[in-house]
Amino acid sequence: MKRAPLFGLSVLVLAALAVAQGDKQPTVIMAPVGNVPVRAGGSTDLELDFRIDSDFHINSNKPKADYLIPTVLKLSPPEQVLLADVKYPPGQEMSFAFSPNEKLSVYSGDFAINTVLKSPAGAAAGTYPVKGALRFQACDHSACYPPRSIPVQFKVTVVRK
Amino acid sequence: MKRNAVVFVALVVVVMALLATGRYLDRTRKHGPIRLVGNVRGVPAPDFDLLTLDGHKVRLSDYRGKAVLLNFWATWCPPCKVEMPWFVDLQNQYREDGLVVLGVAMDDSEASKIAEFAHEMGVNYQVLLGTDKVSDDYGDVQYLPTTFYIDRNGMIVDKMAGLLSRQEIENDVKKVVNSTYKVNPTSSSQAHAQVRHRAEAEIKPPSKAAAQ
Repeated sequence: MKRAPLFGLSVLVLAALAVAQGDKQPTVIMAPVGNVPVRAGGSTDLELDFRIDSDFHINSNKPKADYLIPTVLKLSPPEQVLLADVKYPPGQEMSFAFSPNEKLSVYSGDFAINTVLKSPAGAAAGTYPVKGALRFQACDHSACYPPRSIPVQFKVTVVRK
Repeated sequence: MKRNAVVFVALVVVVMALLATGRYLDRTRKHGPIRLVGNVRGVPAPDFDLLTLDGHKVRLSDYRGKAVLLNFWATWCPPCKVEMPWFVDLQNQYREDGLVVLGVAMDDSEASKIAEFAHEMGVNYQVLLGTDKVSDDYGDVQYLPTTFYIDRNGMIVDKMAGLLSRQEIENDVKKVVNSTYKVNPTSSSQAHAQVRHRAEAEIKPPSKAAAQ
């Protein structure tokens, strides 16, 4: 119990060290997802919420040129859970100082990806982890960073009728 | 118990100082492209051995005696794309003066895709396939575009990260083009030793003897 404040302080020190580097890396974080219930043989909608650091933008799922790297969610659910659909939000059409005459399709700030999860009729009841990743490529006002992935994970509880 | 309190306060002070430094650096960065001249200006450019789009090996040291604009870029980087026509013009304009533009592509994609992109952009300079090693050697190049201006003796004259204006780029080109070639070039191992020495010098406090 005595170690809790020290742990907190260590986290703070590490965070401060990261910021103090001055070479701020783009961050995208996902809001925590509670346990997702789904009936065996049924489906459920699940919204995944993400937040992009205010200094950056990332390409939407449908960027305006082939050479741009789209934001893509990849999930690897267990056999008791199926990913039936993924709906990406439309990108915001924005132009930037580095290319004022060109509009890019991007996400900035908060955005949500809507998914539909299904469970086969014969799925056994239980709680199953779903793991995956969101891949994105971020830029700021004058430069871009290599593509990165952040982990996406949540639990799905299959219930029988 | 008292000792713990002192340690705690000291740590809080350190954290606050680090946060303040970080915020200062971050604020500086928002006002325009980073000009990381302090660490690299006057340092010998690390030599490299990279492949061209058609599979030939190229070393930086092959260009000793030339003024080199070494640009790290990627096909997925719109600001990099803005600079490319300027580099084409500058290569044409300063070729006779000994300017060599080298574009190091930091893509993971195949050489043929990079070549296609470069062709579409009308690139008339040598494009090289970047590696993790060359990125590390040049200070973990993550922020694209990043450009190093290297004089005829293989010394870094300037490093610019982020998109600049054409005029700012040309000003740096003039600096390297106007450099004079000396016959005794610094070797790559000397270059690394100097980079290490500088890095160590920056983190070591001055000795008492030096201070007196």
